Amino acid sequence: MNSLRLRTDARDAILAHAREGALTTPPSEVCGVLGGRRASGDDGADTDAVAVAEPVANVAEDTRTQYVLDPAATVETIDAMEADGHDVVGFYHSHPESDPVPSRTDEQEARWTGYVYLVCHPDGRLNAYRFTGDAFEPLEIVDAE
Amino acid sequence: MHVTVEVVGEETHDVSVDDDGTYADLVRAVDLSPHEVSVLVDGSPVPEDQPVEVDRVKVLRLIKGGAP
Repeated sequence: MNSLRLRTDARDAILAHAREGALTTPPSEVCGVLGGRRASGDDGADTDAVAVAEPVANVAEDTRTQYVLDPAATVETIDAMEADGHDVVGFYHSHPESDPVPSRTDEQEARWTGYVYLVCHPDGRLNAYRFTGDAFEPLEIVDAE
Repeated sequence: MHVTVEVVGEETHDVSVDDDGTYADLVRAVDLSPHEVSVLVDGSPVPEDQPVEVDRVKVLRLIKGGAP
């Protein structure tokens, strides 16, 4: 399970959101929830697949260098995704001024063991990882229609 | 009192707390730290030092981090 299928329109939505954040003054990290199918689901899929990416407000104290998904909005988004038949696959956030790789802060703060953390840059780069509980395991992103 | 605690993305637990127990007590009862979560009642976050007044809550492990 070391790859992640990512629908093109979900990828486009993530990057568009990242670019919006990059245009604020100062630039801000953006974030959201990834929905689709988890590899452990009943359909026997062996790879997580992201079908949708829903933005959630970043309520961190300093959005230039931090992100915190708004708790109430996150629960609302997850409930809506699940009502639409999607699993929560993971979460995304942007690094508008640094490389799209997990920072030390990202590693220290991660709590959703087994879920995907996707980091992106407004220039189009995306990297995905599965949080094992101790570390971020890189995933190969595979484009899907 | 008995409270149903749904940890979003994980399991749902049945927890017993003292009548004067707080939401932080519920969080600790499901082996989470109050500093790492948000407790929601009817979709709205509640202060964790507040006494429990409902029989069902959701606990969201906060999704957070940041650039170096």
